[in-house]
Amino acid sequence: MKLTRDEWTRWGIILTVAVALIAPFLSGNLYLLNLLSLMLICIIFASAWNLLAYSGQGSLGHAAFFGIGAYASTLIAVKSGVSPYITIFLGAAVAAFIGILIGLTCVRLKEWFLAMVTFGFAIIVQTITVSILTPVTGGWDGIASPRLLSPDIPGYQLIEYYSILIITIASIIAIWYIMKSRIGLAFLAIRENELEARASGVDPVRYRLLAFAMSAYLAGVAGALEIHHIGYITPEIFGVDLSFWPVTYVIFGGLGTLAGPIVGTVVLTIIWEGLKMAGLTFARYVIVGVLLILVIIFLPKGLVDLPDQLQKWWKARKKA
Amino acid sequence: MVDFGILLQILFWGIYAGCIYILLATGLNLIFGVMKVVNFAHGEFLMIGAYITVTIFVLTGFNPYCIILLSMLALIGIGAVVERLCFRPILGTSKLNEIFLSIGLIYIFQNGAAMIWGDEWQSIRSPYQGITVPVGSFNLPLDYVIIMVVTAAILVALYLFLKKTRTGREMRATSQNRKGAMLVGINVERMDILSFGIGCALAAAAGTLWVVSGQVFNPYMGSIPAVKAFAIIILGGLGSIPGAIIGGLIYGIAENGAAYFLGGVWKDAISFIILIIVLVVRPTGLFGESGE
Repeated sequence: MKLTRDEWTRWGIILTVAVALIAPFLSGNLYLLNLLSLMLICIIFASAWNLLAYSGQGSLGHAAFFGIGAYASTLIAVKSGVSPYITIFLGAAVAAFIGILIGLTCVRLKEWFLAMVTFGFAIIVQTITVSILTPVTGGWDGIASPRLLSPDIPGYQLIEYYSILIITIASIIAIWYIMKSRIGLAFLAIRENELEARASGVDPVRYRLLAFAMSAYLAGVAGALEIHHIGYITPEIFGVDLSFWPVTYVIFGGLGTLAGPIVGTVVLTIIWEGLKMAGLTFARYVIVGVLLILVIIFLPKGLVDLPDQLQKWWKARKKA
Repeated sequence: MVDFGILLQILFWGIYAGCIYILLATGLNLIFGVMKVVNFAHGEFLMIGAYITVTIFVLTGFNPYCIILLSMLALIGIGAVVERLCFRPILGTSKLNEIFLSIGLIYIFQNGAAMIWGDEWQSIRSPYQGITVPVGSFNLPLDYVIIMVVTAAILVALYLFLKKTRTGREMRATSQNRKGAMLVGINVERMDILSFGIGCALAAAAGTLWVVSGQVFNPYMGSIPAVKAFAIIILGGLGSIPGAIIGGLIYGIAENGAAYFLGGVWKDAISFIILIIVLVVRPTGLFGESGE
């Protein structure tokens, strides 16, 4: 049977969703369930970063939005007693608002100027969290965050997993819709050539701010989900590590594609956990670093592009 | 009213911290000038330089200030390898790729160092610890004086190398116009490797000075100084070495001032606040002419 490209994609999506749905039943292992939940959250986070990169803006400080969403959601939930299921989206709105403010300072900047400002911004937010805001945020010690579901409910981990899965799928559909719409086209136009984009009536400032807001919103959702899943938050959440992870995932999977962040996150998580089982600690990072550099040099479009590259290589070999 | 002596002390602390930033920023500037590449992993070379210094110091007990030459030599080699294997293949592709590649390098170097030397905070004692030189109303540690002199000497040597030697002239030609340099027969790829190596050697010198002055270090120490060095060259203008020196001093002093007046946690944040304000007002940096 010969499948066309679209059919491949469709079957791929159906298979992925099916695996995600039945995965918790494949093993009764709670560690695995927890891992899958965190992986889904990473997928949202990486997709959020990818959306911003889609408009040509590579951020190195996305942990800021991740953390702001988490802190805002936690504080709202603690102060008002509303269920985290609602505060997640309120907290993310705060992250989106801050995202617009950062976007405003970045609209005239490009490439690594932008990377620098976003990187610095994450550090500034961390500093503010542990200095001026200590009375509310608890400083370096952090604060307890309400769980998504009370641990008293039987099988709460399973319900939590499916909640996260639904939010992940919704986020990805939203991103797909944005990429297909006029907004996505405008992002692409700005990324490829800002001058021409402006000549054809696309206002770069507005669309850049929009990209920042949407990306920050999704990153905020991811952050809030993670914190309500774990149940505790500290300023470490603004760390450099968390800013680099989404970048690594996306570059691995394929920059600027919808599937890239998903593929990258899944593959890297498997590699990461596999290396952990092999008993490696620091060496894991070294291996991921080497793989990352190899992907950048030899597969500039990421793992998503691997089938095409293999096909090309196979055809070339047949000809020879 | 703030005591004049304290201001003077902040000033000297700032100049001392500035020396390390100046060395880092000058190296980055040199690399950027010749290759038009940014390397966010530059701080990792500082860290490697620091660990090489410590290892040799612990093994042989040499005066650590003499080891600076060895660590610089070692880093020229490491830098050349990194340039050849990692940056050369992506030269001319998307600018974002350099940032992503740097992230890979950061993972490799930080955790490679943690594998070899462990990831605890360490420090060594300078042979001149406790010796001070009286300057006005307070005593300046001798180490600070040596560091300022060594930094100045390295910068003068770099200046002479760039202005007076044939290789230095070729390097400057490459940085002014790559195609033009190729046309007159300069091996620009050799210039790439050389400038990357020298840039890394300057970072190694900064690392050596960092540890011998008794500051603590661990494998993750490099990222923040490297990003600050970037902030400095953005501030001072891309490719401008005098700009890097002025920017480095401004940052060193501002940081120590902030740490004194606002509290230690603001030390890192203040540099980025300065950077953001400067970039909002002038997107090309204080002395930069055109955006890159």
